[in-house]
Amino acid sequence: MQVYTVAQITGYLRDILESDGVLADIWISGEVSNLSESSAGHLYFTLKDEASQMRCVLFNRKRLSVEMENGIAVVAHGRISIYEVSGAVQLYVDMIQPTGVGILHMEFERLKAKLAEEGLFEPSRKRPLPAFPERIGIVTSPGGAVLHDITNIISRRYPLVELVLAPTTVQGESAIPGIINALNALNDRGDIDVIIIARGGGSIEDLWAFNDEKVARAIYFSKAPVISGVGHDTDFTIADFVADKRAPTPSAAAELAVPQGSELELRIQNFVTAMIITLAGRIEQNRQHVDDLADTISTQVKNAVSISQERVRGQELKLYSLSPIDTLQRGYALVQHSATGELVSQISQVERGDMIKVQVSDGQFNSRVTGAKKVCSHE
Amino acid sequence: MNEDLSFEQALTRLESITQSLQKGGMTLEEMIALFEEGTAIAKICHQRLNTAELKLSEVQTTFEKDAESEESA
Repeated sequence: MQVYTVAQITGYLRDILESDGVLADIWISGEVSNLSESSAGHLYFTLKDEASQMRCVLFNRKRLSVEMENGIAVVAHGRISIYEVSGAVQLYVDMIQPTGVGILHMEFERLKAKLAEEGLFEPSRKRPLPAFPERIGIVTSPGGAVLHDITNIISRRYPLVELVLAPTTVQGESAIPGIINALNALNDRGDIDVIIIARGGGSIEDLWAFNDEKVARAIYFSKAPVISGVGHDTDFTIADFVADKRAPTPSAAAELAVPQGSELELRIQNFVTAMIITLAGRIEQNRQHVDDLADTISTQVKNAVSISQERVRGQELKLYSLSPIDTLQRGYALVQHSATGELVSQISQVERGDMIKVQVSDGQFNSRVTGAKKVCSHE
Repeated sequence: MNEDLSFEQALTRLESITQSLQKGGMTLEEMIALFEEGTAIAKICHQRLNTAELKLSEVQTTFEKDAESEESA
């Protein structure tokens, strides 16, 4: 027989309580009583009904969607454990809703708040979609109109891709593990550029798999970015919040996944036009340049010629000025000894009786020396 | 143009050719060579967009045909 300490037993109880799946994630309805608030802002109260009561503690007041007061009827979510100091079994509350709200809506709000707090919906973690995907994974039911619509739209817009279907049920018991399995199967391939997770419209119950926490985490951890296209545009699911991109419908998800072929055609055409304009411009520029060069050359040749002509003219004038003809015209004469032919510039070259030739501007005549007399120069 | 280029690579190449041409600083012969490459790429891009057929394949999942037959949503 073994004797335990109290702490050993409360610890043992705690281990049992916290390992129980039902007690770890539970909604309990009841009436609020014994409400008190600690200086730290924690709320302590009791939930009771006709037969029984349970101690409750709420540490995070952000999760209150109801004004707390004694006597009101609420539904609280949390986990059951034991407070070892007092040995009391209590509900550690993480969310409280007024009664009358559907349980699915309450669960939706609870999970949304929880995952938001964990950062699963952070805009900063949303990954950009590839501009030109080559392989697109589709997580949906293989039989429905959804797959047909997605295939049609992508085939029309951008048929250069391969669609890889990961078939799954999208409602009912098997949908949650089915969707997770389909996402994993696509990501395991390692060659999927983007994943569309889609389902047609339906009630909140029909769409419930897309509000499941495990599905949300599978989307969060997907290697390829995920586009959600679940239900109609008024339906919001947890999958929409955690997906990298939310599309209002499956068809819209298909449109977001691929570029539009006609826009690409236009873009390509614009590049071609730009190339033609640039090349034509360059050719025109070259032609202009050749013309300009030709003009320049012809101007320079003309200039060179006219400069040469100028020069010749100048030389001619110089020559004229040196020629004796000008001097003769001014009345001077050129005298040549008739016998020797030498030019006479001094009286010593002639004697009386010598014949001389005298040249003037328009001709010459013969003459005889009859006398000579020396003239003194002025110097 | 290399036929193995992906559509995205082809489009990127076309864009960079257009930009190089517009930037200038090359001989007319170089420009004409680039222009020829660019128009060939554009032609192939057009052809691909107009003649491609969507490929469909499937990965193995735990999905069972029977489970789906009763709920075609």
